[in-house]
Amino acid sequence: MSIETPLDLLKLNLDEKVFVKLRGAREMTGTLQAFDTHCNIVLSNATETIYELLEGELKSNTKSSDMVFVRGDSVTLITTPSED
Amino acid sequence: MSANESKTTASAQFLSNIIGQSVVVKVHNGMLYKGVLESIDGFMNIALNKATEHYESDENGLLHRYDGDVFVRGTQVLYISEA
Repeated sequence: MSIETPLDLLKLNLDEKVFVKLRGAREMTGTLQAFDTHCNIVLSNATETIYELLEGELKSNTKSSDMVFVRGDSVTLITTPSED
Repeated sequence: MSANESKTTASAQFLSNIIGQSVVVKVHNGMLYKGVLESIDGFMNIALNKATEHYESDENGLLHRYDGDVFVRGTQVLYISEA
């Protein structure tokens, strides 16, 4: 029985653009350089989007960095970015 | 028969039985993901296909539709159930 585990399937996203949802209404997009079993991930050309509610309005801020290491415990979801 | 030999628990059996089925996964922040269960491991890491995102319940409307496979980190999972 050799079923591919979810982490095996993540390998298909290496060197591809990924969309990562993080704790605390944050999102990160970038090129997936590396990951491990803790979901520590390294992204290149990364953009962080931070959402916050200001006076009932949803505001978002972005921050970019060339290379970023994201600690696994804040990761909730990893997928390919949607085109919109 | 030793404890860890040829003895699958009901919970482990459930997880392997629902592969390929349509499932719902709830995570700690209250988001609900509905999709086809591609795979699952012992850490409850989950891969979903054709996933949709809802808040708490799918009656609350569709927030997002993911085209590619969605990986959900096991530690964030509250529950997984057949849809």
